[in-house]
Amino acid sequence: MKHPEHIVIIGFGPVAASLIEGLMPAVTAGACRITVISAEEHLAYNRVLLAELAIGAAAFDHLLMVDEQRLRAAGIQLHLGAQATGVDRARRQVLIRGAESVPYDRLIFATGARAMIPSLNGLNFDPHADTALPEGVFALRTIADAEKLARCLAQGRRILILGGGILGIEAALAIAAAGGQPTLIHHGPAPLGRVVDSDGGKLLTRCLEEAGVQVISGVKATGIAKDDVGFTALVTTTHGQIPGGALLISTGVRARTELAEGCGLAVGRGIKTNEFLCADTEQRIYALGDCAEVAGQPPVGLLAPGWAQASWLAQHLSSPEQSSTPDFSASDVLMLKGQGIEVAAAGDISAGFWDDPQLQATVFADPTAGRYLKVVTRAQVVIGFLCIGLPQTSAELILAYERGTALPQDRSTLLRLDDPAVDPSSALPSDDDQLCRCSGATYGQVAHAVSEGCTTVAQVGDACRAGTGCGGCKSKIEELLAKAPALT
Amino acid sequence: MTATHCPYCALQCGITLENSGSQLVLSGRDFETNGGALCRKGFSATKLLEHPGRLHTPLLRQSDGSFAPITWDRALDLIAEKALSIRSESGADAVAMFGSGSLTNEKAYQLGKFARLALGTSRIDYNGRFCMSSAAAGTNKAFGLDRGMPFPLADLDDAAMILMLGSNVADTMPPFVRHLDTVRERGGLIVVDPRRSATAKLSAEGAGWHLQPTPATDLQLLLGLAHVVLAESLADSDYLAARTTGLDALRASVAAWWPERTAVITGVPAEEIRRTARALAQAALEAKNGGHPVYILTGRGIEQHANGTDTVSAAINLALLLGLPGTLAGGYGTITGQGNGQGGREHGQKCDQLPGYRKIADPEHRAHVAKVWGVDPEIIPGPGIPAVQLLNSLGTATGARMLMIHGANPVVSAPDANQIFAALRRLDFLVVADFFLSETAAEAHLVLPVLQWAEEEGTMTNLEGRILRRRAAVAPPGQAKSELWIFSELARRLQAPGTFSPDAAEVFAELKLASAGGISDYSGVNWEQLDQGAKIYWPCPEGSTISTDPAARNGTPRLFLDRFAHQDGKAQLIAVYAPVTSPAKKISLVTGRLLEHYQSGTQTRRVDELAATSPDVRLEIHPSTALAHQISDGQLVEVSNQRGTTIARAKLSTDMRLDTVFLPFHFPRTSTANLLTDPSVDPFSAMPEFKHAQVSLNPIKGEN
Repeated sequence: MKHPEHIVIIGFGPVAASLIEGLMPAVTAGACRITVISAEEHLAYNRVLLAELAIGAAAFDHLLMVDEQRLRAAGIQLHLGAQATGVDRARRQVLIRGAESVPYDRLIFATGARAMIPSLNGLNFDPHADTALPEGVFALRTIADAEKLARCLAQGRRILILGGGILGIEAALAIAAAGGQPTLIHHGPAPLGRVVDSDGGKLLTRCLEEAGVQVISGVKATGIAKDDVGFTALVTTTHGQIPGGALLISTGVRARTELAEGCGLAVGRGIKTNEFLCADTEQRIYALGDCAEVAGQPPVGLLAPGWAQASWLAQHLSSPEQSSTPDFSASDVLMLKGQGIEVAAAGDISAGFWDDPQLQATVFADPTAGRYLKVVTRAQVVIGFLCIGLPQTSAELILAYERGTALPQDRSTLLRLDDPAVDPSSALPSDDDQLCRCSGATYGQVAHAVSEGCTTVAQVGDACRAGTGCGGCKSKIEELLAKAPALT
Repeated sequence: MTATHCPYCALQCGITLENSGSQLVLSGRDFETNGGALCRKGFSATKLLEHPGRLHTPLLRQSDGSFAPITWDRALDLIAEKALSIRSESGADAVAMFGSGSLTNEKAYQLGKFARLALGTSRIDYNGRFCMSSAAAGTNKAFGLDRGMPFPLADLDDAAMILMLGSNVADTMPPFVRHLDTVRERGGLIVVDPRRSATAKLSAEGAGWHLQPTPATDLQLLLGLAHVVLAESLADSDYLAARTTGLDALRASVAAWWPERTAVITGVPAEEIRRTARALAQAALEAKNGGHPVYILTGRGIEQHANGTDTVSAAINLALLLGLPGTLAGGYGTITGQGNGQGGREHGQKCDQLPGYRKIADPEHRAHVAKVWGVDPEIIPGPGIPAVQLLNSLGTATGARMLMIHGANPVVSAPDANQIFAALRRLDFLVVADFFLSETAAEAHLVLPVLQWAEEEGTMTNLEGRILRRRAAVAPPGQAKSELWIFSELARRLQAPGTFSPDAAEVFAELKLASAGGISDYSGVNWEQLDQGAKIYWPCPEGSTISTDPAARNGTPRLFLDRFAHQDGKAQLIAVYAPVTSPAKKISLVTGRLLEHYQSGTQTRRVDELAATSPDVRLEIHPSTALAHQISDGQLVEVSNQRGTTIARAKLSTDMRLDTVFLPFHFPRTSTANLLTDPSVDPFSAMPEFKHAQVSLNPIKGEN
């Protein structure tokens, strides 16, 4: 038997966890062994739920994405809290601070991203290091960040959230749900930036404000004000100083690439790979998730593409002969999580009704009811949509968008999916229509039984079997009995 | 007047048969599962007995392809001759048996014994593989025991909430719906189905709600529900600590399935997932504080997949997180389909099992059964291969050359039907025992006429594990004979060791001994008390006190109240992982049943009043999807994929999802839905992927 290939994974976030899950059958079969090197002390956890963790809506152990016992039982080596300081590609080993280096056959970068800290006066930002931020200023990227947010909430501080992206909005909504006072501050005309249009953005802003989030749009921030203790206000050129007890920075992420760069791999907005996630010419080194720039596409900061990449890579590494052509596109769906606001968006909805004959734009707006839909299609296939307050419609649109399937020619069909009152059988029944599904008895037969003198459901059943099966039509029989003229 | 049970589904509705003059009159009997009610299939069941298409004599295929009647002696001699010569040429495994979940317990038991002792083959499996195998594998993993409902059906009558996944009881077993009256009044019926099925409609108008996921995403939906229960700390932690193992692994396995992600995969809105999980948890909490019980029930819709066992595990995990199984606050159950789908899977028809759910690979189990059979344990063959593998390997270098089929119609009911046809045609000798010339019988070299429900004595075990008596009310037509007689005659000709009684009561007495001490222990059951109306649920060990009082439940009506059947007495939470798959690009086909028809339709298609309502296969399709494919209502459509093409008339219905079409699987030849289904099987249960296939749709022009 071939010597099992040693796969070393640097980083232990959700994408690495998913990759390991996909490789488990190969590990169990003895085809490969895995070592994980992670700077964090924790097992892989679900960053998506950090806001819930901070407000106490989810417990920490629920964020864990792997079962440590299961991994260790499978022989997977976990080096947690280990700082990889370099990669020696010639000797094929990863150097670790204060520990023995780890040799590899294949090396996978899953180092993820760190929060991007904007250039503001008062923040000393180093793009390639974890900046020491002043007290009261933090991102929401790690367990430690969540703990900071929880403390600020407990102290009843007004929390400013800088950044109108999905993570900022979700953090603001979570804070509001926990009874805090969030202020969402961003520079564009409406939160969510380019994925909303003007009307959708206005409705979104209104929804957020109704949910208890103060929204300040069009802000140009230049610095922060501090006192002896820490953060006191955001300094802007458009709105003066906006006072607050804490500043949660949610202005995007930057790939962690320094380790890859240090060993001579090409780096752009992330570690550059080809479409097969391979970062070197020897096909020993791969990168995926938030740290990777795959085939020229910079990372988008969402989990779905990383998971799709992990799934493909696991398959590719386990059985290269069966490996399919990767397709990581169409995974840019944004969905606002929880807190009672239904917003989903994806792709490009900038096209107007008359802009391009190839593109068909459809809009439905019912702002009073909090509903808005814009869909842009090319040859019936969705290229972008924004959906607010229409949960079933958005669920179906997401599926159609991800699959690239055609939408119904009559777009209003999509809206009717959210109409629970739709019941094509509500028309008045004729005598030949079936009343009782189980027996097949018709309205006419039951009416006849009633006219012959039946006065109870049981008697009708004896006469024509209606109502003698599942009993579901009893109320219809009772209606017909009630309509019968009283016997005199 | 004869009190017996309907021939069709596992509800086994009580009926009476009365000979009035020349006519046999069937009426509903006040029995607990049906309360006197019947569906159209049951009402018309006597039509099967009198049908002109009944087989009256053995039929032998002639050189010109036609069938000619022959005597039983000739037929039995021929079978014995073929079996012996093929066995001597190619070994005992060259002769195979295929059984059924429609056979009585006695026949199922005898079929397994006949295969092992008279044919000496390991190649035995049955159509229940296509039915209950995933549920059985999942419940065995979790509880250490598989009884479809581990509680009486009537317990549902008091439910506050029922989550019903992949089961369309309103069509498949209508009198079941009477047990949902209360839960509907309480607004607690939650139905999960990609179609707005008749059952899903029962949840309308305040009776509950319907979750309509895109096909083959049930597992993800269940993981999403479990995620919410754990994330929001709604799980019953005391119960989990006291009665289960495996929580940590489970927690990690659901962490990735927060509602929005689940929504993206399933098409079920995130808020609906939250609402459902919270409602279940709230109801479960109330149930434990003196409220009404909460149940999670599954059907074939979520089980007949290549990940069916994992999906069942996910459903059971949810029930365990809520603290329900093994308590009076509710539980988990699977709704068995075939008439004797429960008993049929207990007594040795499965390739790896001996009677009483004993394992054929376990030396102690073999020794016990060998002792009852009066043989050396060494002569009992080892484990065989499951149905799809058994059928598809027929006539190949590794497969059997001769096959005997009893009570099944696999050319209609097995997946990838074209392959099944090809496999049967590779056989040297195919024997089919049936009461009609089914599509599979039409492929046979020799057809044996057998008895129907009202012509035979025996027992059945219904969906709640309750043992029932089936009684004879009429004489069989022509020379039709019981399988018990056939096995007895063949065993003699094959000089089989052991005894093969043709009498059902004697076989039952032996079954009791064989099952004694096993998981499904029938040793304390006797026919006299069953005849007096005793309610007996297995396990019912020898010496159990049995009361015939209609209010009394005997044996074990409710399992697991003290402990689960694993060695440590605990239930096991099984962490399951849903693979990340690329989204389906084509139309999804789901398959299922109609109210008027049963299984492959061998019986119901022959009943005029049933066939009149549903005479041919209809493709249910959303009007918008139909429009996009230029399909009009009533038009013939080619539904096809790489495995085959089914031709069906379109029936436009807004009950369908936009991405999904539905075909019932009751119809033969070009109408067979299973021409399209995927023979890939579940790694634990060997269940094929019946419920989901990718298809293309092409309207047939000029055909309306």
